[in-house]
Amino acid sequence: MNPAWRTLSAKERILCVLKYIFLTICVIVAIFPIAWVIMSSFKTNAEILSNGIGLPSSFSLTGYVQALAISPILKYFMNSVIVAVVATAANVFFLAMAAYVFARCQFRFKNALYMLLSLSLVIPMTALLNPVYIVVNGMGLADTKTGLILVYTALNLPMSLLILRGTFLSIPKSLEEAAYVDGAGFFRTFIQIMMPCAKGGLASAAVLAFLNNWNEFTFALVLTSGQEARTLPLSLSYFTSQFSFNYTAMFAAITIAVIPSIAVFAIFQEQVVSSLTAGAVKE
Amino acid sequence: MKKRLTALALAALMTAGCLSGCGGGTETTDEGASTESTGSEIVINYPTFQCGVNTASPVVDQLIEEFNAEYAGKYRIQKEDVPGDANYVDKIKVQLGTGDLPPVVYGGGYNLLDLALAKDVVVDLTPYVEADPEWKALYSDVALTTNSRDGKIYASSSEGSLVGYFYNKDLFAQAGIDAPATTWDEFWQQCDKLKAAGITPLALDTADSAWVTSLWAGAMIATSGDEGYEFMKQMNPIDYNNQPTIDAFTNVQKMLQEYTTLDAIGGKYEHAANNFLSGQAAMIANGPWMIGDFSDETKTTADFADKVGVAIFPGNFVYDAPIQGYFVTKQDDPALEEAAVEMVKFFTSAHAQQVALEVQGMVPASSTVEITETAKQNYPLLVEFLDLAEGATVRTDNLQATMYPNLLDVVSQDLPLLASGEMTATEFCQTLSTEAAKNQ
Amino acid sequence: MKVKKAWIPIFLAPAVILFLLIYAVPLVMVFATSLCEYKLTSKSITFIGLQNYIDLFKDPAFHTAFTNTIIWILIHCILHVAMGCLIALLLYKKPRGWKFIRTAYMVPNIISNAAMGMIFVNIFNPQFGVVNSILKMVGLEELTHNWLMDTTTAFPSVTMVWFLFAGYTTTLILAQALSVDESVLEAARVDGATNFQIDIFIMLPLLKKIIGTTMVMAATYMLQMFDLIYITTNGGPGKTTTNLPLLLYGVFKSENNYGYANTIGVMIIVLGAIVMVAINKALKVNEEDY
Repeated sequence: MNPAWRTLSAKERILCVLKYIFLTICVIVAIFPIAWVIMSSFKTNAEILSNGIGLPSSFSLTGYVQALAISPILKYFMNSVIVAVVATAANVFFLAMAAYVFARCQFRFKNALYMLLSLSLVIPMTALLNPVYIVVNGMGLADTKTGLILVYTALNLPMSLLILRGTFLSIPKSLEEAAYVDGAGFFRTFIQIMMPCAKGGLASAAVLAFLNNWNEFTFALVLTSGQEARTLPLSLSYFTSQFSFNYTAMFAAITIAVIPSIAVFAIFQEQVVSSLTAGAVKE
Repeated sequence: MKKRLTALALAALMTAGCLSGCGGGTETTDEGASTESTGSEIVINYPTFQCGVNTASPVVDQLIEEFNAEYAGKYRIQKEDVPGDANYVDKIKVQLGTGDLPPVVYGGGYNLLDLALAKDVVVDLTPYVEADPEWKALYSDVALTTNSRDGKIYASSSEGSLVGYFYNKDLFAQAGIDAPATTWDEFWQQCDKLKAAGITPLALDTADSAWVTSLWAGAMIATSGDEGYEFMKQMNPIDYNNQPTIDAFTNVQKMLQEYTTLDAIGGKYEHAANNFLSGQAAMIANGPWMIGDFSDETKTTADFADKVGVAIFPGNFVYDAPIQGYFVTKQDDPALEEAAVEMVKFFTSAHAQQVALEVQGMVPASSTVEITETAKQNYPLLVEFLDLAEGATVRTDNLQATMYPNLLDVVSQDLPLLASGEMTATEFCQTLSTEAAKNQ
Repeated sequence: MKVKKAWIPIFLAPAVILFLLIYAVPLVMVFATSLCEYKLTSKSITFIGLQNYIDLFKDPAFHTAFTNTIIWILIHCILHVAMGCLIALLLYKKPRGWKFIRTAYMVPNIISNAAMGMIFVNIFNPQFGVVNSILKMVGLEELTHNWLMDTTTAFPSVTMVWFLFAGYTTTLILAQALSVDESVLEAARVDGATNFQIDIFIMLPLLKKIIGTTMVMAATYMLQMFDLIYITTNGGPGKTTTNLPLLLYGVFKSENNYGYANTIGVMIIVLGAIVMVAINKALKVNEEDY
């Protein structure tokens, strides 16, 4: 894509070099935290607390062994995968439906309803705790994955609505009109025409929702009690207590939690970009 | 396509769930998820933060196993991990708000008892304790104060908090100090000596409510005379504007400015502990539960345990108070309440206290509990400390146990200002008083 | 178009049901109990009118927290989004290694906030932290600070914990930028427009909506920002880095004063509504393009 280096003027070359310096700094800043975590997972507690940037004195997997021994991390990992994936899929699909209607249809109290739904973005977490606990318990979903899935599907409601409505608004109307002229129904148009066009937005919303679900802590703590529904972020609490700590194991656990989600993100993004550049959105 | 089907299936499921929830909501909420009876065996679901790296985790595991063996077929405890002390408190508070507490709650250092009492959900243990002379004998006067309200016993303690300080014998020798100080004047001289020898005298912290630093402050208040001693004896004081407290925090200011590590300001307990464990600071105030760390090679060097000495505070002072214990909450099923009482009795028996002593090095709540030979072998430093503590003439509970919980954050936020000199000790105490008054 | 009308409630139903189940009761509760004396320990809830609001407006801690929240929202909405936007504008042209850069830049957003907080506590550690170590290495020892605990440096230091990591923003804007029709840009290029001109006059207007969305997200992120501050400074020293959620959490958790906490909650919701409307108006996000 880049024009060949030798066709560039001196000014453009400088700009190009500056651009890469800037991007390199961004990448270093962004990689630093995860590099630090991975490095710390090989250090002893004393090394972590006495020299934050030093290299580990010896390469040892003790942290990982302890992480697996102290907390049921693999069990939690599987729970997290199920809860995060199902909640993300449900959330994005339901909110795509709502967002499409908000973007395209006219009906009474539309703006008021949209504003009301958006307000959920700023309700303090502490206010949600007790009512949500009562609702989930009342439905008999306490300590179940279904309960967590329900709550997580709702927690990402405002964010997905925001992103997806924007996406649908930016898709040309002419596409659907053509479909209607061809005799396609409302639902079919939505599924077959609009959803593919909105792939970029859907993917973005899904990524954000997934990461939020993957890292959510408070509701996972309050709504679960047994090992059947507990998720990964809870396992991190196993490593620090008031007067005892095991940082090595904790950073090993964080590594175990983070690496798969980076992989998922990288693969997912790849899919999205290829679908976008393949011309799916072209008129 | 698959995604869509999952989503649709879920939609159906949720609608169904919603309908059943709305229909049967009133009946199901009261039951709570914390109890279930299978046949004649009663199951006690017991959520606890004593799991994972918590040093009490093996103790709780052993006690549950023994209890389940002894009451096999009758009662069974089901342990439920709630890792992280603060998480446990959060969860209990939510359940307190919605009204379905687990049958047994551990009050710990968080004073959950008073919150539960305000909601009137605690079972009065007085008749049970009165009926059992063995149990009654375990209650000392202090233990009664900690666990009773208005003459009624509501909780039962298993652990005592007996706290002095540890020092590094090597570093003391380098500075030419033979023995720990017996008076505060001597203590400050020792600090100067250590500093002159290029050694940081104290490991301190300010974050997470400044546990280590508060221990020094409380010790200075308690040994300053009658006024200070009486102040330390008060539960939930609202007036910190007294001379002993102001003087103590003036000294804390000096400690933070001159006698500690750079990272004490904003540091957590872990940082303070590490500064002591790595030989960078000569003294740390803390309880015997830290003794295990002295021989943990991921935290310190192999021979470190031999270098550590233990002492009681200058002025012949030691923190000595039982930690608020277990209490039973009111349940719909009287049989479950009975079971919960049995569990509390078992978990705070002389035997249980000895298990905690042997496995964890925890000081028993009751002074009548015998220190076993195994414990003496496992924790020689503890035995030394218990002997020293025996001779202490001044004893109180610690500052944090008696202060309103909302002051803990204030201490963390304002100690850095005290250290930088942006706030005086008088202003610091004034802030504490103002914040304490919010609880009235 | 009668058929279409019938579909509207069906399409809205799942979202509305979710809202009713999870958010509706809390939303009403927050407003209602902010007018009440309501504590965890109280057996009943007493109506006290606007007393909580009067107390709140007199509370100096609220003034600090409110100001801090506003400053952080502005920084995040403007500078943070601008940074994410700049990176997206560099990346949509697909320079060499752009896929790697895009993924790498998102990584910090994947790590949980609890872990990020701990990392920065270490980076800013006055004794062995990275920042002070580097300053000492280059001979600027007099510039070393206890970054998170010094009243002069605490606020900017805490800001750095989240400011640089614009992964979400970049991802969103980039996805939109990549979906822009290539022929539009090609036409401009044929007309002799430079890359810079294309970015400013063609790309940015096309991205206006998504930028508005990211600004709303940035603003609400800062309105809800809690754990990173809690772990790094816990609002200190003094109240230097306290914001509204942190103040609310303290009242809720340590004082168990739910009525007063919800009064702060109302302020957060109202502030959020104002910010959302303002951004939407300013960028005309609500209007349809075609």
